[in-house]
Amino acid sequence: MRLDPRTKLYMVFVVSLIVMMSATTPFLWAIRLSITLIPIILMILEKKYSSALKFLLAYASALVLTFYFLSEQSEGLIASLLIGYCGIVVQFMPAIITAWYVVRTTKIGEFMSCMQKMHVPDGIAVSLAVVMRFFPTIKEEYSSINDAMRMRGVMLGGGNVLRMFEFRMIPLLFSCVNIGEELSAAAITRGLGGENKRSSLIELKLGLADYLLMAFLTASTVIFVVYKYLL
Amino acid sequence: MENKSKKLKAKDFITVGIFAAILFAVEFAFGMLGYIHPYIVASYVIILPLASGIPMMLFYTKVEKFGMITILSILLAIIMFIGGMGYLGAPLIIGAGVIADLIAKSGQYKSFKKIVISFGIFNLWICANYFPILVTAESYRQDLIDGGFSAEYANNLFAAINVKTIGILVVLCFVFGCIGAVIGKAVVKKHFEKAGIV
Repeated sequence: MRLDPRTKLYMVFVVSLIVMMSATTPFLWAIRLSITLIPIILMILEKKYSSALKFLLAYASALVLTFYFLSEQSEGLIASLLIGYCGIVVQFMPAIITAWYVVRTTKIGEFMSCMQKMHVPDGIAVSLAVVMRFFPTIKEEYSSINDAMRMRGVMLGGGNVLRMFEFRMIPLLFSCVNIGEELSAAAITRGLGGENKRSSLIELKLGLADYLLMAFLTASTVIFVVYKYLL
Repeated sequence: MENKSKKLKAKDFITVGIFAAILFAVEFAFGMLGYIHPYIVASYVIILPLASGIPMMLFYTKVEKFGMITILSILLAIIMFIGGMGYLGAPLIIGAGVIADLIAKSGQYKSFKKIVISFGIFNLWICANYFPILVTAESYRQDLIDGGFSAEYANNLFAAINVKTIGILVVLCFVFGCIGAVIGKAVVKKHFEKAGIV
């Protein structure tokens, strides 16, 4: 199933909104959970089983821990670390899952054409597309740097925090800058930044699934806000 | 590079995008630490400017036209919103970006003094993320506790970040921004200028 990028962006927006307003009653939790499940189900539909399972397990375990083992009164080191972990997972995981889903399943071409349709200024659209494309690259480069250091026998920079940071940051910046140069060369060859309006190979059309999902997301947001603030 | 046109080109946008991604990666790596103890959340004003000094100084060497720092702040605001930080801080983040851009512009993006001040101002985006904690203090506290944090965490967080301390945090943020800029510049000089990258 292919969703329109506009629907995906709307989903990111809605999930971020709901993540921001925290759930206080079981009913609100139910809405939050269903909102979190949507990207996971979509991942399964896109055949990304392992990531779907990973996210599901992480989120479920954090939920169980939070509600059955930790309470407002929990104190002590292990408890506070756990609270920290569960807090971040429970609070922000939905947004992370959604963002991950969107980044992984949206082609840059689709994204650009969608931005053009929504009349987003070129500058913001191009920069955002680069950001989207760049997160996986940073991760990749970072792990190659780690590999290279391990090969040379450099572990953690000899315990010196500053050097630890420097040894990773500088090569990362070097490769990012180089990749950036190549990226701009490639983009300019393809006519990015020209005077004319660009056309796109990908025709964007909202399908039935898009309308249904958008309606569902809107409805959940409205219900969430009404129940949280007005009742 | 000798192109003196004032309009931003595709290449500039790509540069901005790359540095926004790097900046966010740095922010994210250190941001995770905040869940260990709320005091670390408050100390972001010290950690983040120092850590992001290096990539940002490299970024400043690539800035030649007005708008790049502004767009960077807009991207940060969007990413922060998606990351669940809320929309309250967004205008402040962008505001800090525009002012930083104007200051750097007044030095033609070359004057190091102006760049240091500009980076100090730019760092106020970190404080902008505290904004929701201040404005919606009571409900935010309740939200944290309902959201799975312990009362202890919430109390410590509000002990560290409240209306009284925010002034100090803003000043610290600016000061460490300037220090971060100086350190970052030194590192960029040590590694990148020698290698001929900038």
